[in-house]
Amino acid sequence: MASRRTSLLQGTLDLLILKALATGELHGLGVSRRIEQMTGGTFLVQPGSLFPALHRLEEAGWLTSTWEPSENNRRAKYYTLTRAGRRQLEQETAEWNRIALGIARALEA
Amino acid sequence: MPRLTRARSTWRNLVHRDRVEHDLDEEMRATFELLVEENTRTGMTAADARRAAALALGPIESVKDQVRDVRAGATIDSLMHDLRYAVRMFRRRPGPSLVAIAMLATAIGVTSAMFTLVDALLLRPVPFRAPEDLAHLWMRDEHGGLVTVAPAVLQAWRECGAFSSVESAEADTALVEFDGSVAVRAIAHVTPGIFDLLGGVRPLRGRLFEPADGTAGNTDRALLSEDVWRSLYHRDPDIIGRRITVGGESLIVIGILSSEFRFPAWNTVIWRPIDLSAPSRTGAAPRARAYVRFTKTVPRADAARIATATARAADASNAQKRVQVDPLAGLVLDPYYQRAVPVLAGAVVLMFLVLCANVSSLLLARLTARQREFSVRSALGASRARLLRQGLAESLLLGALAGASGTGVGWILVSLARTFLPEAFLIRTLNPLDLDARALAFTAGVGLVATIAAGVLPAWLGSRMSGESLRLTDRGATESRGARTLMRALLTVEVALACVLLVGATLLVRSFVNLARAGRGLETRGVLTATMSLPRPAFADAASRTAAAQSIEEQLRALPGVRQATWSFGIPPSGGAISFGDWISDEGRTIDMDVDRYSVGPQFFSLYGIPLLRGRSFDPADPAGTVVVGDGFAQALWPGADPVGRTFTFMRERFHVIGMAREIHHPSLDARLDRPEFYEPFAGVGSYAMLSVRCDPACPDPALIRQRIARGHPAARVVSVRALDDVYFEELARPRASAALALVFAVIATLAAAGGLFSVLTYAVARRRREFGIRTALGASGLEIGSLVIRDGMFVALSGLSIGALAGWAMGRVMRSLQYGVTPGDPVSWTVVLAVLVITTVVASWRPARQAMLVNPVLMLKEE
Repeated sequence: MASRRTSLLQGTLDLLILKALATGELHGLGVSRRIEQMTGGTFLVQPGSLFPALHRLEEAGWLTSTWEPSENNRRAKYYTLTRAGRRQLEQETAEWNRIALGIARALEA
Repeated sequence: MPRLTRARSTWRNLVHRDRVEHDLDEEMRATFELLVEENTRTGMTAADARRAAALALGPIESVKDQVRDVRAGATIDSLMHDLRYAVRMFRRRPGPSLVAIAMLATAIGVTSAMFTLVDALLLRPVPFRAPEDLAHLWMRDEHGGLVTVAPAVLQAWRECGAFSSVESAEADTALVEFDGSVAVRAIAHVTPGIFDLLGGVRPLRGRLFEPADGTAGNTDRALLSEDVWRSLYHRDPDIIGRRITVGGESLIVIGILSSEFRFPAWNTVIWRPIDLSAPSRTGAAPRARAYVRFTKTVPRADAARIATATARAADASNAQKRVQVDPLAGLVLDPYYQRAVPVLAGAVVLMFLVLCANVSSLLLARLTARQREFSVRSALGASRARLLRQGLAESLLLGALAGASGTGVGWILVSLARTFLPEAFLIRTLNPLDLDARALAFTAGVGLVATIAAGVLPAWLGSRMSGESLRLTDRGATESRGARTLMRALLTVEVALACVLLVGATLLVRSFVNLARAGRGLETRGVLTATMSLPRPAFADAASRTAAAQSIEEQLRALPGVRQATWSFGIPPSGGAISFGDWISDEGRTIDMDVDRYSVGPQFFSLYGIPLLRGRSFDPADPAGTVVVGDGFAQALWPGADPVGRTFTFMRERFHVIGMAREIHHPSLDARLDRPEFYEPFAGVGSYAMLSVRCDPACPDPALIRQRIARGHPAARVVSVRALDDVYFEELARPRASAALALVFAVIATLAAAGGLFSVLTYAVARRRREFGIRTALGASGLEIGSLVIRDGMFVALSGLSIGALAGWAMGRVMRSLQYGVTPGDPVSWTVVLAVLVITTVVASWRPARQAMLVNPVLMLKEE
C-alpha cells in the first residue's frame, strides 16, 4: 500500500473503500477519486493497491460488481456494498474509532 | 469470510478462469479510458492524455498479477502455473528428467513386483480361513513312501473326533471340449464339504456343491473357475445350467468360482463332486486324498495318534503305516524359498535405495546447476515459498510420471513372472499373483519423497543465498559446499550398496555354476526315463504285470535310436525308496543314515554310465538279499576296506554285497539330499515302475514313447516321460532363477551408480571450468587436470567400496546357506567385484576428465 502523501495504515484501505461505496455504486477509478475527496487529498490510492483490494473484498462477499455504462458511455465495472459489506463497514468503523480514541488518549497523556 | 462465498469464488476463478481474466482485462481497459477522459477534460491533447493515464495506472501486468495473487484459489492456480512451467522445462531438456523417471520407474516396478512374489510365496501362507489349522494327511510306510487312504479311513477320521472336518480333494487333468476344439486343464475331484473345510469360499455365480452332489444320479455337476469361464466360454452369462464336456463326459455347470480360488493345485480350474462311498467308473476302489481341519480342543500330537489308530482299525493294510501331517500353511515353507526369497527381497530393497539415491543426486546436480535461475528469480522478488513451490511442482511432475510408469513396469514384470516362472516356483503358492497395491503405494511414496527432497533442496539453497550467489555464480564459482557434500555422500552410499549387491550376485552365480558343473557320477546325455503305473484291477497278479512289462520293453527297444532299456524302481536324481535307521555292518559297526534304495535290472549300471569299482553287477541267478553298494555307503560301513563279500543288516534283514558302484551325486544346496545308495536286484514290475532307455545318436520323441507304452499295454498309465538332461536342468531352475535375479539387481545398481558418478563429475567439471582454465594457464598439463577429476571419482568410489566391502562380507556370511562350492571370502568373486567397480569408476570418470583437459584458457578468459 502506497500513497504519495501519507502511507496508509494496515487495514485502513479496506475501511476507506467500504466507506467510499456507502453512498452508492462506483467504478474502480471512482472509488479512488472518492477516497481522495473524502480524505481531503491526504490519501491517494494507487491502482496496484486498489484493484487487488476491490477483488479481495468482492470475494469476501462484501462487494458485488456489475458491468454498466459509465459517464463516457462505455462499459465499466461498478462496485456496490452488499448487506454483509454494510455490516462489515459498521464493525470496522467502530473498531477504528476505538483505536483512534485510544491513540488520541495516549498522545494526550 | 463465509466459507460458501469463498468456495464459490475458488470454483469460479479456477474453472471459469478465462472469463475472470477477461473481466480483469476489461476492467483495466475501462479504467484507462476513464483516466484518458478525465485528462482530456483538463485540456490535455489526446496523446498527452493517454501518456498521463498510462503513467497514473502504472504497469498494468503487475497490477493484474497483484489482483491474481489475492484471488481465492490463488495457491492452486499458481501450482498449476508451476506445473505448466515444469512441463516447459521438461520439454526443453527432457534428457535428465527421462533418465530420472526411467530409474525411478524401474525401482518402483521391480520392487513392487518382487514384493508381490515374496508376499505370495512366503508371507501369506494360504488364502483360507485359519490356515494354521489346515493339513493334508498321508499314510507313511516304513520306507518313507506316502499313500492316500481308503474311503473307509476317511469316514473313520470324520467320526474319530480329532478333526472338525475331513474331506478329500484329488488333482487331475482332463481334456475340455469347447467350440469344436479341446484344451487340457487341471481339474479336481472333491468331496462336497471341501469348501466348508477351507472356509470363506463364495461362488461368483450359482452355488457350491451340496451333500447330494456326486451321489448316484448327481455326478454330472461341475464348478468352473472364472478363468475358464472367461477363456473357454466367452463369459457366457447363461453358463449356469449349461452342459459342458470334460474328459468326454457331459457335465452341468452349477457355479462359477473366483479366479483367486486355487485348490488343491495352483492351476485347478474345474471341480467335480465325488462320492467316495460309490465305486468309481473304472471299477477301481476309490482312494481319498485327505484334507483336515484340526479342532482347537485336541492337541496336534494327540490328533495324529488318534488318526493313526483309527486308520489301522478301519483298514488292515495300514497296519505298518503311520499318519503323516503336512500342514497346508507349510506348503509354501519350502526350505529353499525360506532362504532365497528373503535374500532376493533384501537385494531388491538395496537396488531400490541405490536408484532412489541416484535419482536424488541426479536431480540435485541438475537443479543446483539451475541455482542461478533461482537466484535471479529470488532477486526479482520471488518469495522463498514461491521458489520452493516451483521446485516441488517439478518434483511432483517427475514423481507422478515415474509412479505411473513404475506401475506399468511392475504389472509387466508380474505378468511375465506368471507366464515364465518355472512351475517349480508357482506350484508353491495357492495365492493368486497380482501386483500388490500396498507395495506399489509404498515404493511410489518413497520415490516421491526422494524426488521432492531432491527438488526442494536446490530451490531452498537458491533462495537462501540469492544476492550473494547471483554475484558468485556469474564468476563461475565452484559448487556450493552443502550440495557438494550431499551429492558425494549419496554417491558413496550408492557405490557401497552396488558393491554389496555385486558381491551377493557373484557368489550366487558362482554357486549356480558350481552346481551345474558338479559331477553327478553318471552320464545324463542320451537317457530317457518313463515312469508308469500298472494299476491293480487291470493287473491282478505279478504274471500279468511281467507280461505287460515285457511287451512294453519290446515296443521301446524297437524304436529307432534306442540301444538299451532297463526296468528299475528308482531313477536318479529323485532316487528310489528312502530307508532310514540303523545300518549294522558284519563287523558290528552301526551307522544311522538315510539311504537311497534302488531296485535295478542288470543293465542299469552300464545304461547310466555308472562304473563298478569292485565286484560285479547282478545276475538273474542271484538270490534275494544280494546287493551292490555305492562307494559312499561302503565307506560309511567299512571305512577303507573292500566291501565285496561283506554283509550288513538293516531292520533285521541281511544283505550280501557283490559289488561296489561309484557314488551317484545329487548336487544340491541341501547336502542332506545327497544320500548314499545301494542297489537290489529288480524283482519284477510292481504297481509303479520306471523304464530307462539309452539312445544313440538321438532319443525318440517323448510322445512316441508314450504311444508305444500304450501299444505295449493299453491299461498302463504313463506318469511322465522325460529326458534325464531336462530333469537335471530343472533341478537347477531355482538356483538359476535366484542367480539371474540377483545379477539383474546388481547390474542395475552398478549402472545406476556409474551413471550417478558420471553426471556428478560432469557437473563438477562444468562448475570448475574456470579453475581448470587457470591451472592450465599456470602450466598444469592435461594429464594433471584429468587425474584431478579421476581422483575425485576414485575417492568417492573407494570410500563407497570400503564400506561396501565390509557390508558385502557380512552379506556373504548371511547367505551362506545359498552357496555351493564357494565361501563368503571367495577370492575369484571378490577380484571380479573389485575389478568391475574400479573399471566402472574409471569409465564413468573418463569423459568428464576429457572435458576438463580440453578447457582452453584463452577461450575461458574471453568468456569472462
